[in-house]
Amino acid sequence: MSTQVHANLTEAQVREISESLDEPEWLLQTRLDALAALEDIDFPAVIQTPGRKWTNLQDLAFEEFVDPLTAAEEKDQVGPDEVEVLSFAEALDEHEELVKEHFGSIVDPQTNYLTALSTALFSTGTVVYVPEGVDAEDVTIRTTMNSRSLFNYTLVVAEESSSVTILERQETGDHVEGKRYYSGITELAVGENAYVQYGSLQDLSEETYNYQLKYGATDTYGQVDIVDCNIGSRLTKTSVEADLNGDGSETKLVGAFYGHDDQHFDVDSRVWHRAEHTTADLVTRGVIDDRARSVYEGVQDVGRDAWSTSSYQRENTLMLSDESEADASPKLIINNHDTEASHSATVGQVDEEDLFYMTSRGVPPQLAKNMLVEGFYVPVLEEIEVEELREDLQGRIRDRLAGRFD
Amino acid sequence: MSSDDHLKETDTEARFEFKKEQKSAFKSEKGLTEETIRLISEDKDEPEWMLERRLRALRQFQEMPMPTDWPGQPDLSEVDVDEIVPYIRPDIDTRGGEESWEDLPEEIRDTFEKLGIPEAERNALSGVGAQYESEIVYQNMQERWQEKGVIFCDMDKAVQEHEELVKEYFMTKCVPPSDNKFAALHGAVWSGGSFVYVPEDVTVEMPVQAYFRMNSEGMGQFEHTLIIAEENSEMHYIEGCSAPKYGRFNLHSGGVEVFVKEGAHVQYSTVQNWSKNTYNLNTKRAIVEKDGTMEWVSGSMGSKATMLYPCSILKGPGATDNHITIAFAGEGQNIDTGAKVYHNAPHTKSTIESKSISKDGGRTNYRGLVHIADGAEHSSTAVECDALMFDNESTSDTMPYMEIEESKVDVAHEATVGKIGDEDIFYLQSRGLDDDDAKQMIVAGFIEPITEELPIEYAVELNRLIELEMEGSLG
Repeated sequence: MSTQVHANLTEAQVREISESLDEPEWLLQTRLDALAALEDIDFPAVIQTPGRKWTNLQDLAFEEFVDPLTAAEEKDQVGPDEVEVLSFAEALDEHEELVKEHFGSIVDPQTNYLTALSTALFSTGTVVYVPEGVDAEDVTIRTTMNSRSLFNYTLVVAEESSSVTILERQETGDHVEGKRYYSGITELAVGENAYVQYGSLQDLSEETYNYQLKYGATDTYGQVDIVDCNIGSRLTKTSVEADLNGDGSETKLVGAFYGHDDQHFDVDSRVWHRAEHTTADLVTRGVIDDRARSVYEGVQDVGRDAWSTSSYQRENTLMLSDESEADASPKLIINNHDTEASHSATVGQVDEEDLFYMTSRGVPPQLAKNMLVEGFYVPVLEEIEVEELREDLQGRIRDRLAGRFD
Repeated sequence: MSSDDHLKETDTEARFEFKKEQKSAFKSEKGLTEETIRLISEDKDEPEWMLERRLRALRQFQEMPMPTDWPGQPDLSEVDVDEIVPYIRPDIDTRGGEESWEDLPEEIRDTFEKLGIPEAERNALSGVGAQYESEIVYQNMQERWQEKGVIFCDMDKAVQEHEELVKEYFMTKCVPPSDNKFAALHGAVWSGGSFVYVPEDVTVEMPVQAYFRMNSEGMGQFEHTLIIAEENSEMHYIEGCSAPKYGRFNLHSGGVEVFVKEGAHVQYSTVQNWSKNTYNLNTKRAIVEKDGTMEWVSGSMGSKATMLYPCSILKGPGATDNHITIAFAGEGQNIDTGAKVYHNAPHTKSTIESKSISKDGGRTNYRGLVHIADGAEHSSTAVECDALMFDNESTSDTMPYMEIEESKVDVAHEATVGKIGDEDIFYLQSRGLDDDDAKQMIVAGFIEPITEELPIEYAVELNRLIELEMEGSLG
């Protein structure tokens, strides 16, 4: 099943993008294959329950907001000297073999319609290469999208016993009339005993439709942590996933969102335990206000060979208004009995007793409520290692709270 | 204690697996055609409207696709309805069930004796209905309940004798045939089951029980249960079921509709022990009015594949739902079960407690939906799922879905999965228990929240069934 999107997409356009980036033949071929596959592949899975599809991606009129040849953005890619932070074109020049080895190895470009579209059309990207034994902090990638649509690709390769913390953020710059589309794929290859924390702050304008897939894969004793923060966009479909391939490897998948007006956030968090002694901790906290809607799916999949697994999942949604809606589905799929797994999910309001306590101490009600909402995000904030991300997320939450009235 | 002698018999073969000669007075052709439906309806001497409902359900069944795309669902490819004999009327004289066990043909009486039904009736029940193949063969209730206006009868008899009530409530407002493919199938070929009516302010103190037995190979059983509990009434309905095992598949597709009126309280308990060639695909639903309470208690031990999600629609303010379910999947079994609750009014409350055990390659799945509608203020739901796994061939899935349209709510879901604790076993062994006994004791403790909801006879029965399931691989 597929839709009309490719009606205005042509092979010539894909060739043009590839040529302008002076790409090798294998990459052009991968793009063309992805383009051809659009005919046959589905949109990312969304949850369906009787009488309701939780996010309706099919109905989006992609032609309206995909404009492949006029991509424009400002990009800022910085990091300490020990690591290489390269634009995608530079990376192809300097480390073609490295890129070739990892590109598409974690996220199959043909996973779904939107990944294939992104692979065919991406025009900007970053490669972060952390050599063996290097410890680095605060790699920062800032993207400001100025065109109608932008397709981005990020690859992080952390070699044996290296460590790195990364922030990647997306914003919209120049105003464009009508709907817009941002799409990003991130692959994180974490070597033996390496550690990567990759944080993302999505603060796109509220006319922008946003699709992102961030996927980490670990070798033995590796750890990949992904922090996915969503503030902006009209509609977001985002998925944060980890393959724990190496024995003793670990992941923390952390999510935060704050929806207001008629924003729609569809957030997936998934871990696949494929080796022994692997550990996963999934934490997502979200607030929805006004007519916003949140959809959460969490999956903890413990494979047949994943002996001695520990896997935990918590999801909490706070509803600030009567018109908001929250859907949640935390799933456990357990194929090995030598497992300790749990999940929990809650939906509710700001606790009345907490509010009462604070107002009885003289805190004005509005302020008390705002403080409690801010406090609600603490378990997420505590996980964030990059200060810019922690402070800016907190700042955006405060802005949102300052702009609302009860 | 002589009253539970029947529970002491330890041989499963003798308890459930015995087969009787396949005798019948009327047996439909295999498969599902309009002609078969007309024959069934004619054999039952039904009013025209019921035939029409059956035929409409048949059309709906034919139009609907098989459910195949639910994540992790049981494989239903073997379920070919054209290979099923949908209707077998056993060879008995009286329609609507005999009132005395003595009047039944020997092989049928012996069947229910072995299952311990007459014994239980004497000791712990207000009434009993027993179904053999497609028809109720025995139906009785203590006189004191009849005097209070309680009706407990064969569903087919209710169509004749309580036509207006049945016409109003039967697959109209609770489980319409359009609900799902197997509800439509049920609507087309239903036969037997119970009709229960409890008048206002009447409390039926002891449970009533229905027992469903399939004896013939390749048949389908489609009993329909309709319970109407009027305002401030109270009752407890228990159903049990079993069948001997055959090489090819049997199909059970029951339909249960419960109407819990204002302030009423209904408990519906199921001890499901179908043979391991049976596909058990049921639709059970209750509509709960203001301040009413519905309790679903289910133990699913048998069947090759089960898909069952008892549903409560909390329609009136202050309505309450409690679900307690336990699933046990051994070799070759896929038990996909859970709960559905719709909170459609303010101050409604639900609690779901699910326990599952999987071993020897068995697969359990908790699949549940909690929906809180816009306007259902101050509602709360708490879901708790715990799974115990015995070995690495087995699978345990948990797939809850929550849809929350109202902000003034309290929603909590929790689940855990783990293996049977080595330390617990070690502790018990150090106290002198052997490995098997230790495991059985841990399992008994694990399912205790369920067993304590059942009358003692059934709690013992449930524990025994679990023990029997465990013995297979623990020996």
